[in-house]
Order: sequence, then structure tokens, then C-alpha cells
Amino acid sequence: MEFDKKSLLKLGKLARISISDDKLNNLSTDLNSILEFVDQLKDIKTDQVDPTSNSLNQKLEVRDDKVDTKNSAEDILENAPEKEMDFFVVPKVIE
Amino acid sequence: MVAQMIEGWNLVIGIEIHAQVNSKSKLFSSSPTDFGSKPNSQVSLIDAAMPGMLPVINKFCIEQAVKSGIGLNAKINKKSIFDRKNYFYQDLPQGYQISQYKDPIVGEGFVEIETENGQKKIGVERLHLEQDAGKSLHDQDPNFTFVDLNRSGIALMEIVSKPDMNSPEEAVEYVRKVRSILRYLGTCDGNMEQGSLRADVNVSVNKPGNELGTRCEIKNLNSFKFIHAAIVYEAKRQIKLIEQGDSVNQETRLFNTQSGETRSMRSKEDAHDYRYFPDPDLLPLTLDDDWIKGLQDSIPELPDQIKERFINEYSLSSYDANIIVSDKATSEYFEDVVKNRNPKLVTTWVTGELFSILNKKNLIIEDSPITSKQLGELVDSIENGKISNRQAKEVLEEMCESGKGALEIIDEKGLSQISDENEIESLVDNVLNSNPENVKKYKNGKDKLFGFFVGEAMKLSKGKANPKIVNDLIKKKLSQ
Repeated sequence: MEFDKKSLLKLGKLARISISDDKLNNLSTDLNSILEFVDQLKDIKTDQVDPTSNSLNQKLEVRDDKVDTKNSAEDILENAPEKEMDFFVVPKVIE
Repeated sequence: MVAQMIEGWNLVIGIEIHAQVNSKSKLFSSSPTDFGSKPNSQVSLIDAAMPGMLPVINKFCIEQAVKSGIGLNAKINKKSIFDRKNYFYQDLPQGYQISQYKDPIVGEGFVEIETENGQKKIGVERLHLEQDAGKSLHDQDPNFTFVDLNRSGIALMEIVSKPDMNSPEEAVEYVRKVRSILRYLGTCDGNMEQGSLRADVNVSVNKPGNELGTRCEIKNLNSFKFIHAAIVYEAKRQIKLIEQGDSVNQETRLFNTQSGETRSMRSKEDAHDYRYFPDPDLLPLTLDDDWIKGLQDSIPELPDQIKERFINEYSLSSYDANIIVSDKATSEYFEDVVKNRNPKLVTTWVTGELFSILNKKNLIIEDSPITSKQLGELVDSIENGKISNRQAKEVLEEMCESGKGALEIIDEKGLSQISDENEIESLVDNVLNSNPENVKKYKNGKDKLFGFFVGEAMKLSKGKANPKIVNDLIKKKLSQ
């Protein structure tokens, strides 16, 4: 797998990170060397192994269905740059 | 009309139902799930995706998903995995939705629906657990969008059907059936107005024999009426495009409930590049056989089984049984009334008279002004001849207005039918004795006078005499 500039720009767009032209080359080189490093894993034979989604050999912790409200609307909105009538306010989104 | 328009075309419909799990707290946090609370008052630091917060799964939600899977005749997967579905949107603070992708908790199953051509099996592809997103309000301010995160993180079961439906009616029946099963199981309250159950509908059209057409997805339909209307509109739109020589774009569309039209959502470039990967915060979910077995044993009787039983036990027609079992509250009401009573009479009074009153008042059966016990008393009064069917209708309406019991109203209004044979016999004697001429004519062959005697006797009783007994007695006396 290799990251060309086009896929790098697409990834940036999906993550809402703008990448300036002068950084594009360096970033592409960096990412490709990371991928190259990870690509070594492909040399291991895994056709007899189930896909691993998590490397911890533990069971998923569960909790009971109990309500526990620790914070109010005021608390949760405290860090919001813009708020009004208990809502977060963001630039208009039209669909 | 729909059939005419679609004539010569195949309709292929697949549906994703989002059903909110009937839990007190959210899927991965302890925030409450109450509907209609003050904005952002049910948001924990996990729901708001504050840094360092870790999701812990709600055991009850896992149980409800498995129960629902059993109710949908589906395979329960003993190992399932939670994935991150990545996209950027203002009502999704995490920047990803925790969902299940390749390994859902429930696999393939099916439900049976009634169609005009008989029973039809609709395949279920899968059921998986996922988080709901927050709510965006676009109409509060001309320049800004307002966001309420109360819904963010609430547990949803996404139920994906196979593309097995071929008409808007089948699509509606399928959603009705799934909703009914979930309500019987108690895993989702099915309240569509409050958004507890909503449907995304995939529609495509093709000429019979040709390969499948390109499909469009219509999002977020929250009533049976809208599901039907959206499919009809969308099928017409696609047929028109193809007949004009244009092609259908695969896209997501919104249904405008005011105009009844669907329109394209502003096409989101790369919108479908969700870059799913297993959520590193959550280990695989494993279920053991005994636990699944325990849930299987706790499954209540479901609509298909109850229907079977009603048909066998109470000799209901398939049609009546279907109407009664389609809603859990209705079947419970019916069973309360029918115990030790005449099933035919009870069916008529529940699906006929009671339903028509509820419809008129726009009430659901849970809010019926007449309890099952009260309706039972009314049916008893008909059965034991105390009042006639016609009188019973009057009594039912009065019960509904006043909240009084049937017996009380019958007493008050002096409606009680006279069924005492001695009393009726003296009435009949009275009529026959005061009309000797007519008795003679009758005996000489003027049969039509029979009705006259019955009429006179009824008049004498002020309409209260049991007509059957009156008839029998007059017949007996005149033949002597």
C-alpha cells in the first residue's frame, strides 16, 4: 500500500485537517515509511488464525442499566464556544 | 392506482429499521434516555466525547438485542465486535459512531407477513447494536444550527432486511410486523412519533427479467403513512427518469412530509468512506450458550403463535386473529374479555364496536375509556338476554361518556330486557285475548298477521321483552 498525494488530501479532508502544499511531500514520505514498517506484518502466515480485533485476552466488561446523572446542561455546555437556550450553536448546516 | 402506475415494472425494496432499545440508560454511558427532556440535560462526559472517557456497555441492551434476534428467528452470534464508523458531523461529538460492521450480534433471520397473495417470508440480514446521534435543529436561527446531544449515545438496534419486498404495502406490513414483535418482546416501545422506531427505505425499479436497478435510500421515515407515500413517490420518480432515457443516481434522499416528495440530500463527497475499524476501547462481545438458552426460555408468546392459538382455541378467523394480535395491548385486552365468554360475540364487540369508538375518539386501546372488565359485563348482558344487541350499542356509548358500568346504565335506563317466560306469557295472552278477530283470521291462513302479534306484544312491553321468547310463545299459543 502506498500513499500518494491524492489519497493523502482525501484523508485530510475526511478528518477535516487542512494540509498545505509545502507539507504534502514530507507528510507523504512519513506516512509511507510508517506503512512500510507495518507492512512487515504481511510476512507472517495468518491463514490459520482468526482475525484479532483486540489483543487483550479479557472479556468485555459490562454494567447494569442504571441511570446516574453526574452533570447538568450547564456543566456540559461550559466549554462550548457558542451556546444558546441550552443548545450548542454551530455554523449553519444545510442538507 | 399504485399498481397501474407501476405496471410493467418490478419494485425492489429493502428496509433498515432503527429501533431504540427500551433501556433506562444509554448504550455506553449512564445518562438517562427520557424523551422530551431539557436540551443537553442528559449528556455525560462520555456522550459529549470529552477526552479520556471510556465506554462501558449496558448489559440490558445486549440482552434486548439478543431477545429481538430470537424474536426475528435469527442466528445469535456468540462473538460480535464493535467498530468505529467514522464521519464528521456536528451532532456526532466523537467523530465516529460506535456500531457493528462485519460481526454483528445477530445474523440472518426472517419474519412472516400477510400479503394479498397470502403469507410471505421476508429475510432479515442482520441486527446490530449502535449509538444514536444527537439532534440538529436547523430552523431556530437563520445563520446557525442548534445541537442537542440528549439522544447522543442512546442504544439502537439496526435491523436490516433483505431486499425481499415488492410493493409499498409489503414494506409497510414488514415494518408493522417487526414493530409488533419488538413490542411483544418489550425490547423497543415502538413509538414512531417520538422516533423510537424509524425506517430507512431502499427502493429500486427494474423491468421484469432485467437486472436490478440502481437504488436510492430514503432516510428517517417515522410513520407507516410516510413509508408508503415515500416508496410510491420514489418508484414513480425512478420510472419516469428511466422512461425518459435518463439514469437513476445512487443517492440518499429525504422525504418531505408536507409535499410528499423526496429530494436528494446535498451529495456528500466521500460520504460513504466510513473507514470502519474495531473500536480499541471495546473488547469483543462474547455470549455463552447457557446465557442465550436462558433468554430463549424467557421469550413470551409472539404474535404468530398467539394467532395460531386464537384460531385453535377460540375458532377465530385468520382475518380477525390477525387484527387482534397485531398489537400486544389489543390481544391482551381481547384475552381478558374472552375468558369464559362466547369468542364470536367478544370478537365482534372488540374489533367492531370498541374499535369504532376508539377510532372516533382517536385513542389507542391502552387509553380505552372502557376497561376489559366493563366490556365483559356488557357482553354478559347480551349473552344472558338481559339486553339486545341494539340496546348494547346504546349502553356502550353511554359507558364511554359517563365511565359507568354496563349494569348500572341498564338499571338506570330501565333497559333491562324481559326474559321471564311467565311475564312474557301474560303479555302474549293479553295481546291474543284483545284481538280475537285477528286470531281467527290467522288461524284461517292469514300468516302475515304473525308479525302484528309480535309487534303488539313488544309494544306492550315497551320494547323490553326478549323478542325470541315472544316469537316462540306466540307461535306456540297460535298453534294450539
